[in-house]
Amino acid sequence: MKINLNFIEACSLLEKNETTSVELTKIYLKNIKEAKELNCFNTISAEQALDDAEKSDIRRKQGKLKSRFDGIPIGVKDLFCTKNIKTTASSKILSNFIPSYESTVTQNCIDAGLISLGKLNCDEFAMGSTNKTSFYGPVTNPWKSNKSEAKLVPGGSSGGSAAAVAADLCVVSLGTDTGGSIRQPASFTGTVGLKPTYGRVSRWGIIAFASSLDQAGPITKTVEDAAALLEIIAGHDPKDSTSSIKEKESFLDNLNSSVKGIKIGIPKEFKSDGLPVSTQKAWDDCKKLLQSNGAELIDISLPHTMDALPTYYIIAPAEASSNLARYDGVRFGIREEGENLIEMYEKTRSIGFGDEVKRRILIGTYVLSSGYYDAYYIKAQKIRSLIKNDFNQAFEKVDAILTPSTPSTAFEIENEPNDPVQTYLNDVFTVPINLAGIPAISIPFTNDENNLPIGLQLITNSFEEQKLLNIAKNVQDTINYKSVPKNWWKS
Amino acid sequence: MEFDKDSLYKLGKLSKIQIDDSKLESLSSDLASIIKFIDRLKSIDTENVDPTSNSLDQSLVMREDIASDVNTADEILENAPQNELDFFSVPKVIE
Amino acid sequence: MINGWELVIGIEIHAQIKSNSKLFSSSSTKFGSGPNSQVSLVDAAMPGMLPVINKFCVEQAVRSGIGLNAKINNKSIFDRKNYFYQDLPQGYQISQFKDPIVGNGFIEIDSEGQPKKIGIERLHLEQDAGKSLHDQDPKFTFVDLNRSGIALMEIVSMPDMKSADEAVEYVKKVRSILRYLDTCDGNMEQGSLRADVNVSVNKPGEALGTRCEIKNLNSFKYIHSAIIYEAKRQIKAIESGENIIQETRLYNIDTGETRSMRSKEDAHDYRYFPDPDLLPLVLEDNWIKKIKSSIPELPDKKKERFIKEYGLSEYDSSVIVSDKSTSDYFEKVVQDRNPKLVTTWVTSELFSILNKKNLSIDESPIPPNQLGDLIDYIDSGKISSRQAKDIFEEMCETGETAQNIINEKGLSQISDESELKKLVESVLSLNPENVEKYKNGKDKLFGFFVGEAMKLSKGKANPKILNELLKSKLNS
Repeated sequence: MKINLNFIEACSLLEKNETTSVELTKIYLKNIKEAKELNCFNTISAEQALDDAEKSDIRRKQGKLKSRFDGIPIGVKDLFCTKNIKTTASSKILSNFIPSYESTVTQNCIDAGLISLGKLNCDEFAMGSTNKTSFYGPVTNPWKSNKSEAKLVPGGSSGGSAAAVAADLCVVSLGTDTGGSIRQPASFTGTVGLKPTYGRVSRWGIIAFASSLDQAGPITKTVEDAAALLEIIAGHDPKDSTSSIKEKESFLDNLNSSVKGIKIGIPKEFKSDGLPVSTQKAWDDCKKLLQSNGAELIDISLPHTMDALPTYYIIAPAEASSNLARYDGVRFGIREEGENLIEMYEKTRSIGFGDEVKRRILIGTYVLSSGYYDAYYIKAQKIRSLIKNDFNQAFEKVDAILTPSTPSTAFEIENEPNDPVQTYLNDVFTVPINLAGIPAISIPFTNDENNLPIGLQLITNSFEEQKLLNIAKNVQDTINYKSVPKNWWKS
Repeated sequence: MEFDKDSLYKLGKLSKIQIDDSKLESLSSDLASIIKFIDRLKSIDTENVDPTSNSLDQSLVMREDIASDVNTADEILENAPQNELDFFSVPKVIE
Repeated sequence: MINGWELVIGIEIHAQIKSNSKLFSSSSTKFGSGPNSQVSLVDAAMPGMLPVINKFCVEQAVRSGIGLNAKINNKSIFDRKNYFYQDLPQGYQISQFKDPIVGNGFIEIDSEGQPKKIGIERLHLEQDAGKSLHDQDPKFTFVDLNRSGIALMEIVSMPDMKSADEAVEYVKKVRSILRYLDTCDGNMEQGSLRADVNVSVNKPGEALGTRCEIKNLNSFKYIHSAIIYEAKRQIKAIESGENIIQETRLYNIDTGETRSMRSKEDAHDYRYFPDPDLLPLVLEDNWIKKIKSSIPELPDKKKERFIKEYGLSEYDSSVIVSDKSTSDYFEKVVQDRNPKLVTTWVTSELFSILNKKNLSIDESPIPPNQLGDLIDYIDSGKISSRQAKDIFEEMCETGETAQNIINEKGLSQISDESELKKLVESVLSLNPENVEKYKNGKDKLFGFFVGEAMKLSKGKANPKILNELLKSKLNS
């Protein structure tokens, strides 16, 4: 059977009875087994998956499919709580945690008949852009430079989710995106990553990093796949007070790739001398492509673009410092004994959290503490308003905005800067979108001179995912990006 | 810029994270670097700007007052590192 | 004033909202269930859990705000108050800090017979914490999260009270209003209503002193004695040259003393910020209006009405309206009856029996309609007051109705005039000599005739009518 199968193709094979869910599941489980070196999975739930696949096949025989996607194997970021399956957020502090509940998003997948193969590695509590902060070790990007044997980062925090799709360890996967955690790894691995509008997808049962920014979304091989998976996971959830009350949409069926008359904004603030020539060229090529397909290019300004990253590094740690207070060794997770309650707390949290998580908790505590709250936290919230306003004004003139997804392509795992701020700069193009709460997609456009994927980011206004997917499909269908990583990890 | 030791210990106390002596220096310089980075915002004029704490433009949806969640002590204690007689158990606290 | 020192008292009341489920989760709020048996995943702060607000609790807060003559805010915000404690699973309490649901208001209390306004600063919604048990094990503290997440209204007064008496009056009044509104059951023993009292002392005309907060007082008696103790402690300290440190203190109900709370020693920095899991709570004017129109008559209004409508004294009216159940009971009995008689029976006979049996009026052994019947028998002269008291006691003991007791014992009075006339005639005809003597001026013999008539009627003759009949017969 063809490898590099996408979601829609896999569905069609099942529909034509050319394969079964069990067969598909076995192939992917085998792929996973052979890809240990990539370290994509924290937990592989092989037995459960095969069991579920068998049931799906029975449903198919009986004509009782749960949805047209029934039987497709997927991977789930280890940030989604999954009933009776270990859920760790790639943190030591949750290394023994087995939820008794299923997140709304994964439940929606189960209800559609999807088969979960297991839990995908990620940065600890989704904090990172390299997947190196995971307690279970870094994920390796399936892509390698054609000039070096060095292992590359897959990006983060949904590094496992992106690498697994790129390496055919699952057909599609679920990630979460707080400041770029879906789009940046998608960009680094030649996959499609969609961050929906804040509120489009329920956060219930997803381990929280920064509640006002977190949003789950699909990582897939194609735009159609992203549309399909978004359709499955989206919708109002009464258990999440920040879930939009908007109606569910049929993103896949409504896909329409025409961009005639569509106005594409090109923000001048994203241009920079530091941008690699190949990325700049990819961006320029995409503009031309859209223009020749009938879109209109409009120069726009998002004046607070460069303020977004420092704003994010106030708001996200502030919320995280509070969200992570519940990991205290009392009701779940690990506990390190102490002489008294305070010592137990301090030991548990010091041993349970990794360095990056601790840094962010400390910074978050700092910006909320008395005397600093107004200068940092309130200030950041005000600048958040300015950033949102920039986008509001832009969308009065344009339908969508086109930018690079990341300031660079995948870099070496060993090559980590000492200064955490240097690492934070990976998110410079993705973070403003989370602060504004709007949707954005990263799609692979071409490869750079080292044969590493370059992703481009499309952005639309709130709840305009359909438009976003349509434009992305237009680009996808025109460039027909077919590059796949050589599967060096199998040898 | 320096992030002084006392402030760091104070943050550690507030957030219940031990500041390891061996990591004191690197942590202090990391935090200093981050704070220098976020300090860039100070020069931005935000007069008359309202803060945004959530981008979703919606008011709070309320639920009906129905006690529909039922549990047993066993269920809620299932993941607890230590429990006794249907209680969570922690090192003795003196009030 | 204590020894020339003025007291300044402000009170935070934590009132548990009467609701079926918790503020942000659908767990039951029932009191007295087994440990950790009413704890949802949200209450235990399991990873990924999110709060969803209870509409009824919001409504109850609005009702209470209206009852406290306070401003209802159309937009309010939920904040997180961050601190670590074993009974606080999230590591933060969801509360309202900058933008509470209810703003400024006031209530009126009785201060040494004079009405006094006490300002309400705010009322906000917040989650209750769990319960810690420190005495079950020598090395461990046990935690029960049943209470965790139950909806509380925190009602913050202005520092308007000047004495322990005023403080108690204030808490009593707030409790009474909440009970009238049925937003809180006011059960202090079960902890449904508790008070944190801020006390400071200063010399008249001088700046306010440093205040100390005494936490978790759950009876009027404790509130009173804790304030007195704390004020004296502060005065003694200042007079001996010490400084008062602003701190949280605990009241020991066994010794009657307050002491510094060790566990709260660490300087706090609660790092309040808007809870990003919750959006602003926006209340439409129409919704508030609808709630306003459903507010029942509150104690102050009821007191005035009772005075006007039933001619009650100021004092009796206060006593009766101070508790909603009492006023309800009273009003059921007083319908179409003599208010004076009803007031006396409720405030003396009924209250004393309830006191003796340590029962609330809701648990009264005599329901209002039966007390009403008894009063009817008195008012119509069918029984005497003396008899009524005996019947009342028996009603309490046996649960029998007044009518049954009267019938069974044949206690009812003979008030029928023709029957009594016959009685009088037979007494006179049986004692012709004494009639003669009486008519010749021996007035004292009147008592003799009454006694004979009573004897003959086996004590059932209505004395008033009997007297009249005898008099008219003898004097004719």
